[in-house]
Amino acid sequence: MRILVVEDEATIRESLKSRLAEAGFTVDVAQDGEEGLFAGLEYPLDVAIIDLGLPKLSGLDLIRKLRAQQKSFPILVLTARDRWQDKVEGLEAGADDYVSKPFHFEEVLARVQALMRRAGGWATPELVCGPIVLDTRKQTVTVNGAPVDLTTYEYRILEHMMLRAGEVISKAELSERLYEEDLERESNVIEVFMGRLRRKLDPDDTLKPFETLRGRGYRFAIPRSSG
Amino acid sequence: MHSLSRRLLLSVSASLVAFFGVAILVLDSSFRDVTDRSLQDLLDAQIVLLVATSDAQPDGVFAPPTRDLPSRLAIPRSGLYAEIRKSGADESPWRSPSTAGAYINFGPPLKTGEKELRFTAVNGEDVAIASRGISFEDEARVRHNLTISVAASLKPYQEQLWSYRSRLFGGFFGLAVLLLATLGGLLRWVLSPVRRLEREIHAVEEGSQPSLGEGYPRELSGVATNLNALLAGERNRMARYRNTLGNLAHSLKTPLAVMRTTLGTCAPEQANVLGAEIDRMSDIIEHQLKRAASGGALLGQAPLDVEPLVSELRTTLLKVYARKDLLLSVTAEPNAQFVGDRGDLFELLGNLLDNACKWCKSQVRVGISSDAAAEPRQRLCIVVEDDGPGITEADSTRVLERGVRIDESVPGHGLGLAMVRDTVDLYGGKLTIARSELGGARISLALPGR
Repeated sequence: MRILVVEDEATIRESLKSRLAEAGFTVDVAQDGEEGLFAGLEYPLDVAIIDLGLPKLSGLDLIRKLRAQQKSFPILVLTARDRWQDKVEGLEAGADDYVSKPFHFEEVLARVQALMRRAGGWATPELVCGPIVLDTRKQTVTVNGAPVDLTTYEYRILEHMMLRAGEVISKAELSERLYEEDLERESNVIEVFMGRLRRKLDPDDTLKPFETLRGRGYRFAIPRSSG
Repeated sequence: MHSLSRRLLLSVSASLVAFFGVAILVLDSSFRDVTDRSLQDLLDAQIVLLVATSDAQPDGVFAPPTRDLPSRLAIPRSGLYAEIRKSGADESPWRSPSTAGAYINFGPPLKTGEKELRFTAVNGEDVAIASRGISFEDEARVRHNLTISVAASLKPYQEQLWSYRSRLFGGFFGLAVLLLATLGGLLRWVLSPVRRLEREIHAVEEGSQPSLGEGYPRELSGVATNLNALLAGERNRMARYRNTLGNLAHSLKTPLAVMRTTLGTCAPEQANVLGAEIDRMSDIIEHQLKRAASGGALLGQAPLDVEPLVSELRTTLLKVYARKDLLLSVTAEPNAQFVGDRGDLFELLGNLLDNACKWCKSQVRVGISSDAAAEPRQRLCIVVEDDGPGITEADSTRVLERGVRIDESVPGHGLGLAMVRDTVDLYGGKLTIARSELGGARISLALPGR
């Protein structure tokens, strides 16, 4: 797993570098926004940690430039500015999560690992399958234009299935998408979520978006029209 | 009463009444002098005429010849009457034919050279009676003392006076109305920039306009320019202040982060103690600086739509609480607007939503609406509900108590909610804590809005 750390404070940068290396990452470091942009564009990264207060190119601008260049690896933001407006701006710019300074390394590591499990939706801002539209930026779902309230897990299952519409997806794979910890879950949990999704998306049972394939898993039956 | 145009109109009306009143009195009294003199002249002329034409008649009565009588004396009840009386004589006096059927008391006889003018009423008619005593020597050189009286009805004079007066009053009244109407129109025109200033200041207060417009007359443009400069200065000052506080937080927290990362090299006991202190310092920085940076209502702030802001926060919180299976639903009226600072609204909603997401089992509901009937400072309603443990009554009273310091207030929901309370107070809004039908806390805010 290759990770980029962009941080201008040498002590923090070096500490993150050594502890992430201990955790098994291949670590690239950059000490300002421009170096960070170069590394972000050139190296095949799996995840990046970016401080918002950077010299030369601010963290926010760096994230915007990376996203504009179609880089979709997850980004964790480190910030000392923790007004909600700053946090929201960071995530709007294209980051996936944030940690406030001063931080505990364990927190950073946990967030990074969680991010790598949920691939960010930055490559595909909107998924459209027939009447079902999923906005990955806003995490909202509409059916025939009417908003549908989904829980985090329901949303995540739907997003994964719409991203891979037409493919057979096993229960184990869905379960892995849901839980960040590798815990054994009761086998019927996914069935419960599928049942709830069917009721919320297709109360009249006319769309039939999910196909159950006994013993193999599920398939999203409506083909992707865009995204 | 505190209206300039009303004051001016009232004072002008009062002086008009006084001015016209005096003018009417003066004109009226001089007109009456003129009519009195012409009445007097008429009576004198009649007496002189009677004296000149009268002579002793065969029956001993002094009278003018019937043929030569002026027609007004000849026609009964014409309004002009005459009497010639011989003093000391028994025979009845001569009376003009016009007195027929009317009893007129011409008064007592006068001595020679005496003159009298009396006013009396005859058959309900006001008359003026002029009498003169003369001495008359007839052909037989006998002297007679005669009293010649002429009475004239005042009716034509009174009619003239009243018509004059009604014309006078009518004229002045019309003039006054015209003057006041003109003045009112002028005032409207002259004061219209003042009214515009008032309207624009109100608009700035309400937030529908960021500053006062251009094109005020010279006397007001100074006020408008200064007000605008004040508004702009205040906004800039506030922005600089917030920036400074943000930078201060940033520059304090980065060294703290450095300290925390180097803790790994210390002995575990020291690391624990220092770590706790670092946490405390960063909490203090966070809460005190955030609190100091919240601005409250500033004049001339453009109202902002609440819905996009809530949906941005929703996305952020779903990412932050990705490990929890949350149902975070937002119901927002699209036209609900907040009048105040964007950062403050972010803090308010962020803290409330963060608390709700932290404490809920799985469900958080946000409602945004505007209540046009409420007063402007409490027009925007924000309701955040969750299905968590809720807030006990004792804790909510403590949060709502004024003057409770942030670090003393309710744990759990505490810090965030206490900051929300402070900010709501700054805006003159209202914070209510209740139990939600979802089972947890239901926190409603009433804030300046549109």
